[in-house]
Amino acid sequence: MIAQPTDQPLTLQQLEKENRILRKKLERAQQTCQELEATSERREKILRQAIAELNDSRQAVEEKRQLEQTLTELRETQSQLVQAEKMSSLGQLVAGIAHEINNPVNFIYGNLLYVQEYVNGLLTVLKAYQSHYPQVVAEIADLAEENDLDFLQEDLPRVLDSMKAGAERIRQIVLSLRNFSRLDESDLKATDIHEGLDSTLLILQHRLREKPGFAPITLKREYGDLPLVYCYPGLLNQVFMNILSNAIDALKASRAQLEPLATPLAPEIVIQTCVLDEHWVEIAIADNGSGIPDSVQQQIFNPFFTTKPVGEGTGLGLSICYQIITERHRGKLECQSELGQGTTFRIRIPMQQSN
Amino acid sequence: MRRCHQSGSGCSAGEELDATVERPFFVESVMLKVVVGHSNDPDSPAAIAEVIEQCDRALGDSAPQAGILLTAIDFDHALILQAIIAAYPGLELIGGTTDGEISSVLGFEQDSLSLMLFSSDTITIRAAIAPQISQDLDGSLQAAVAQATAGLESPIALCIALPESLTTSGAQIVASLRAHMGQDVTICGGLTADPWEFKRTYQFCGTEVHRDAIAFLLFSGPLLFSHSVASGWTPIGKPGVITKADQNIVYEIDREPALQFYQRYLKAMEPSSEYPLAVFEADDSNYYLRAPSGTCDLEIGSITFFGDIPEQAIVQITEATRDRILAASKAAPQQRSLNTLVKNRPPHSSFPARAAARFLAATLEKSTN
Repeated sequence: MIAQPTDQPLTLQQLEKENRILRKKLERAQQTCQELEATSERREKILRQAIAELNDSRQAVEEKRQLEQTLTELRETQSQLVQAEKMSSLGQLVAGIAHEINNPVNFIYGNLLYVQEYVNGLLTVLKAYQSHYPQVVAEIADLAEENDLDFLQEDLPRVLDSMKAGAERIRQIVLSLRNFSRLDESDLKATDIHEGLDSTLLILQHRLREKPGFAPITLKREYGDLPLVYCYPGLLNQVFMNILSNAIDALKASRAQLEPLATPLAPEIVIQTCVLDEHWVEIAIADNGSGIPDSVQQQIFNPFFTTKPVGEGTGLGLSICYQIITERHRGKLECQSELGQGTTFRIRIPMQQSN
Repeated sequence: MRRCHQSGSGCSAGEELDATVERPFFVESVMLKVVVGHSNDPDSPAAIAEVIEQCDRALGDSAPQAGILLTAIDFDHALILQAIIAAYPGLELIGGTTDGEISSVLGFEQDSLSLMLFSSDTITIRAAIAPQISQDLDGSLQAAVAQATAGLESPIALCIALPESLTTSGAQIVASLRAHMGQDVTICGGLTADPWEFKRTYQFCGTEVHRDAIAFLLFSGPLLFSHSVASGWTPIGKPGVITKADQNIVYEIDREPALQFYQRYLKAMEPSSEYPLAVFEADDSNYYLRAPSGTCDLEIGSITFFGDIPEQAIVQITEATRDRILAASKAAPQQRSLNTLVKNRPPHSSFPARAAARFLAATLEKSTN
């Protein structure tokens, strides 16, 4: 143990000790003060830079989010443009085919009238010959028998009538195709909605017929007294085509899903049109299929949403319909459905469009 | 086994082993008495006299077997060591210089002297010094461990080490200690320090004062102890990748001089141990801390740390607040219960170690009290 001076009073020792401690602390305090200034400066710099980096990072995240959103929108727009282009190409194709068919069918139809006239005249002359000259030479009698002249006289007019009906039908189809594509009518135009519906139904007619395993689909038209409506007829026909196609698909799917011994309902599509008020008209297309679940209904107008197997649908049809009705026509498109009951699509568009 | 590197009742400026963390170390034993003396008198003779008097009062009739001396650098270390050995002949004494000391006697003090003494009749404690570790770390440690363990009847359970901080990587020191002591020994400790100048530090063993050495105490016998770690430092800022490093010297981060990584934040100021790097190794969300040792090469832009940092590790600047450090101080002892071999028994003593905390806690002494 180190010897301590014991002859000095304790109080003095304590004072001296305290003095030493205080001097040391003062020296240290001065040093600490300088160090703390440096510490404070470092801290401020680090935090400033960290905050700047955080802001940059946030900005980068936000930009990335916006870029991703823009990319998503671009992709959607691109897909919609592609789909629209397909529809446009289809329309052009349809119009082109219709045009190509139109001329020859008109030749046929036009000449058929003359053929009918000529044939009628020939038959009249033949009857007159038969009346005045009942006994003919053997050669003529043989030829008459060989060519079954009686049957020819009876059947030829029927054949010509059938050809005329066929040619007329082709003309109607061509007219409907041209009406459906409406390429020459891309602007807003006062349109007979029912004409558009009928032209669309004509194109889909083959799908309504009976097929093996599927009963024919009954079509009911409940048309109201609609005025001419200012709309984009070509686009509106696309909407009708899409919704009616979906209805037919739904009815076929409902039939396929039935239990083997269950009694199927007769498949039916009902098209109703009416004037809602002085500004709006409504076109309702309803089917009695199996209906759409709520979870699907909520997404039905979303781009790329489809319930069809891969490769059978792009999922863009209804979203384009929605866009055509709501954006181009400033109208409303709604889907109402009940499981087991069926589905109704309601299209509401204004009769006039303000620019 | 967990490794826990702590200083004794003091602060070391940059403990590379787990730099700048709060690591309490608890010692339990049957028949173990631990006493502490602490003086803030700058006069060396008066200070050690006061400390020895405090220790004598606390020891009573018990004779101390070993001790750990932690002192500020501005003391007459040789005189102090001689006074301690004179008061307690045969004491297995180690120690080192520190920058701030904490004890249950005086709380937090700077420029003070603290002495912890162990007294036990069942636990064997040996002191040793491995000198010149920057020349031959393994050789020096091997010889020191061999000397310290000669004749020991029980295997070593615990090693408290106080290595030099400025000459050798702390990670290498730990690896070498483990290699020479075995996997079953718990190694704790802390690097010796100077008052934030990073110029010279000292290690003590017996009456000898060394530099560039490792002083350590080895405990064997029926000793129960536990340890825990808590840190008040959290990563902030942009991460970087260590692209060039050699043990504890980092040359490049993100293919730029390492100094630029810090200077992005500090501008012209040099890196400080207050802002260690959080080091994330591959595919690991946990991190450890590595503090700059105060040495950097301004020409090539390299920074020396207290411990190794592997290449391809991801690093981030960290920062701490006083509140977080204090929270860590409180949290660490609570974690002890997870590691203790004997639960629900209060320990005899603990070594809380805070590194680099003093700058952030101007009123730390009040807080620790």
